[in-house]
Amino acid sequence: MSDVKSTLRQFIVENFLFGDDDGFEDDTSFLEQGIIDSTGMLELITFLEEEFSLQLDDEELIPENLDSLNNLEAFLAKKQAVQQPQ
Amino acid sequence: MIHHFLENAAANTPGKTAVIYEAERATYAHINTMADNLAVSLQTNGIQKSDRVALIMENSIDYIISYYGILKAGAVAAPLNPGLKPDGLQYQVDDLEPAVIIATFKSERLLKAISLNEQTLKLLVIKNPKQKWEGMPFRVLDFGECISDQASTPEHAARNPDDLASIIYTSGSTGKPKGVMLSHKNIVSNTRSICKSLDLGPDDIQMVVLPFFYVMGKSLLNTHFAVGGTVVINNRFIYPADVVKQMAEENVTGFSGVPSTYAYLLHRSPLAKYRERLPSLRYCSQAGGHMAAQLKRDLRAALPEHTRIVIMYGATEAAARLSCLEPQRFEQKMGSIGRAIDDVELRVLDETGQFSRNGTQGELVACGPNIMMGYWKDSAATRRAIDKNGYYHTGDIGYQDDQGYFYITGRKDNILKVSGHKVNPKDIEEVLMQSQQLLETAVIGVPDDLSGHRLAALCVPIDKGLSEADLQKYCHQNLPKYQVPSEFAFFKALPKGDTGKVDTQKCVAAYEQLKTKN
Repeated sequence: MSDVKSTLRQFIVENFLFGDDDGFEDDTSFLEQGIIDSTGMLELITFLEEEFSLQLDDEELIPENLDSLNNLEAFLAKKQAVQQPQ
Repeated sequence: MIHHFLENAAANTPGKTAVIYEAERATYAHINTMADNLAVSLQTNGIQKSDRVALIMENSIDYIISYYGILKAGAVAAPLNPGLKPDGLQYQVDDLEPAVIIATFKSERLLKAISLNEQTLKLLVIKNPKQKWEGMPFRVLDFGECISDQASTPEHAARNPDDLASIIYTSGSTGKPKGVMLSHKNIVSNTRSICKSLDLGPDDIQMVVLPFFYVMGKSLLNTHFAVGGTVVINNRFIYPADVVKQMAEENVTGFSGVPSTYAYLLHRSPLAKYRERLPSLRYCSQAGGHMAAQLKRDLRAALPEHTRIVIMYGATEAAARLSCLEPQRFEQKMGSIGRAIDDVELRVLDETGQFSRNGTQGELVACGPNIMMGYWKDSAATRRAIDKNGYYHTGDIGYQDDQGYFYITGRKDNILKVSGHKVNPKDIEEVLMQSQQLLETAVIGVPDDLSGHRLAALCVPIDKGLSEADLQKYCHQNLPKYQVPSEFAFFKALPKGDTGKVDTQKCVAAYEQLKTKN
């Protein structure tokens, strides 16, 4: 597991699953499984912005970017590539 | 009867799209036929008039078929929150004693985790069941079977508008949830009044992000079915960009939310960027508690100019709504909840038990055909809520101005005593929001031996750089000394209930937890 995914997993398990990651897979939908509500989404967004020094555009707050560990990882990789061009 | 809304629309405009949900579009004729099939299936399985049917589903076309199907069968629709934990669901199921539970596979684990009353439960209907239910003393059917073609039409048992139609659980500010009993007449009357207030018609298309198990969500469904309009269901509000995009794509004419819905939309959605792409958006309505003036101004600035803002006020016990502020008075009567809607009598009852106008404070009380029958199995609570003259006591404190507009200033049970002063937390929250530094805030009273209460402000800053000193300075400049919170605690978000309203009790718990941690 990548460092990014591991950090994300730890944040979600600690903050939204109360430490119980039973059945929480990399492709588990936060929305479908009721893991995150709108309050939680604000917490997740703040965490992403602080932890990864990013600014998320409001139009980027869509399920394709944020609705599972896999989606988050892919989205962050894309964002970081844009922010830090080689 | 409530289901006549659906039946009339199906007779008049059978091919019209009634509901849009993800990739599905369902016509009135389709929903009516499916609801008839479900009603027959319920009746075939021995469900009788007045039997309770617990409906545990998120917003969907199946939910709507179930809701109207239950009513067609003469039974009582009791929508329960599918997000409940086992303890919460156990309490409501024990209290309700349903003859039928209708749910989806998503709630199967939850249902397995509670104990179902085998004496009263006759039937469990599950959409796409995944668990094994063999050997149960009640019948278990697949939802798909129940809505498939039936050989007959539902039997219309003798019914009248005063029959119990729905039980909706409301948490209130304290204690266990209470089941609010609403008759067909309660809901039909209020639905018609709301349609008139909002000038709804068949061309209206409503974006629904509020859950149908919440009375305000339910009224969005009934009002639009009453006029033969369309509802667009979007359960992905945690991704607000997705909702705003769909509003533009579907040419939505109306949007409704509680204050936190709008706080979230304003701060974390591209709403303002979509101003030019929402030409059909006729109005946005807000209910479900007080929305700070600053948030209202921000909303006004973000919405297209042609979009009107309608402030409404209501209660589950009122079948949804009691008052409405006409949009043309939005600026002039910024803090008002408007005037009573049709068929509702709204009054202020002062401390001496007299009706008051002229700005005297008192409790808001209401009567009319929309006021509930009472609380399920709790006649003592019913007597406390509805007085001998038939007025429902809302528990909200407010006044009426000389033009007849109502204003709410606080909750009867939420006034804090701080060093001998009566303090209304809402006044302080309003001033804090005017700082334009906060996304949301809640002021709570912390018991204090010396002063009775100390005030603590739970704050969600917009800018991470905001400090306690900044807020203290601002409060000292804008509030009398006794209203300045002695503590400011910063959070990433405030705890909310299932309908999106800020939950005061959870705020107190979150504050205590933070203090313990520090």
